[in-house]
Amino acid sequence: MALRRVYLDNSATTPVDPRVAAMMARAVVENFGNASSVHGFGQQARAAVDRARREVAALIGAKQNEVVFTSGGTEANNLAIRGLCEASASFGRHIITSAIEHPSVSGVCTDLEKRGWEVTRLPVYQNGIVRLDDLTEALRPDTALITIMLANNEIGTIQPISEIGSLVRQKRAGGQKHLWLHSDAVQAAGRLPLNVDDLGCDLLTMSAHKLYAPKGVGALYARRGVRLKGQNVGGHQERERRAGTENVPGIVAFGEAAKLAREELEQRSSHDRALRDRFETAVRSGIKDVVMNGDREQRLGHLSNISFRYIEGEGLLINLDLEGVAVSTGSACSSGTLEPSPVIRALGVDDEIARGSIRFSFGKDNSEADVEYTIEVLSRAVERLRALSPLTLVSH
Amino acid sequence: MPYSTQFKDHLAHPRNAGELADASVVADETNPVCGDRVRLSLLVKNERIEAARFRAYGCPPTLVCGSVLTELITGKTTEEAKQLTRADLLNAIGGLPSRKHHAAALAIETLNSALARLP
Repeated sequence: MALRRVYLDNSATTPVDPRVAAMMARAVVENFGNASSVHGFGQQARAAVDRARREVAALIGAKQNEVVFTSGGTEANNLAIRGLCEASASFGRHIITSAIEHPSVSGVCTDLEKRGWEVTRLPVYQNGIVRLDDLTEALRPDTALITIMLANNEIGTIQPISEIGSLVRQKRAGGQKHLWLHSDAVQAAGRLPLNVDDLGCDLLTMSAHKLYAPKGVGALYARRGVRLKGQNVGGHQERERRAGTENVPGIVAFGEAAKLAREELEQRSSHDRALRDRFETAVRSGIKDVVMNGDREQRLGHLSNISFRYIEGEGLLINLDLEGVAVSTGSACSSGTLEPSPVIRALGVDDEIARGSIRFSFGKDNSEADVEYTIEVLSRAVERLRALSPLTLVSH
Repeated sequence: MPYSTQFKDHLAHPRNAGELADASVVADETNPVCGDRVRLSLLVKNERIEAARFRAYGCPPTLVCGSVLTELITGKTTEEAKQLTRADLLNAIGGLPSRKHHAAALAIETLNSALARLP
């Protein structure tokens, strides 16, 4: 019998929606023109890119000329942070970020730190959420950028971006005109209703492959008036912000995926949440000694991050994978370092909890049967690994 | 990191897992750097390892090294077991990336610690 396969790693990437794939396949063949060309072939490709830009803008309540297409979330984060900081270096060189950012944000901040910028990393507490008081205290007259993610990729906690946005607006009204807010919304876009004006964001990052489109395309929302120094130079594309011939089929796919995400957002999020809640209820009732990581309320509805005491995450991940269930872990082994996930550690938990953390992330293609099968496989694997663990000897 | 089928088989079906009620000696060692831990119980009669059981906490290579170690030493004399090296264990597993060699080192250290404590 073929092995049952259950994909519960939708925060890492999502399966491509067949409707998106069909649209992309047509674009590969029909819209081959260079979108910068003046002739009809080029203009046809340009029109396809513009349609997609409108859809991506609509997903976040932006205007289409505020959307810059990139090769993905990482490039968009690089462009947002480095591009803004380099363009506004004469006004201030202080950045505020959080302790739980994705490496494509924290890595750029660390790099800028080496080049003379100062970086304040706001802590999160046991709930995995930054506090506005800490932010207020960290703000300085020379703060140029606040970059805080909308929702965390490992534990799903939703950060208070609209409150931060209000604070930034107040500061600007009070004279600090060169303070800007960026948010990495890679995990949130298509999963939460987003509006850049309500959030008060000046820059916002999205990635297509988290919303059922293929890899290789992302976008940065850049509010009109925000100065960015292009990081890719050598062409006039994307209003001088991102040189390089547009990835027309990828962008078309992103546009279609954004349209579907907007139309189906409510249905998808209630579906994912129902599966996630069913899963968590079954884990709580069927498996002892588990720790649910991150705030219980302020988090994405499709994601569950659970630490299984006495065992290490990667051993559990491989045991699940052998039975067809795909998840992720924050264990040190998987990251290739000796330190377990900085995100889980930022919650103030001990190393054993951090090492035993597993992320289960549900998506629109999962079913109740997937949840049942996962629970069955997970219970067996946890039991087997715990029987092996010397840590259970002292604790039980 | 891609693991071999043989490696995954040990992980899903660990050999000689648990404790020996009538163990001659038990050793329990922890790697202070990463927190990995291996516990080994041996039943030794007439200077021969008649049975071995292990428990382990840590990354998959640590669990697999424990499992493979018990297979390697069962039936060996204590003198033969003392000769086992990290390289022997790594060979028996089919190799590990160098950054995972600490897992084999911990298993061998636990074995040596058990053998040194034998009456």
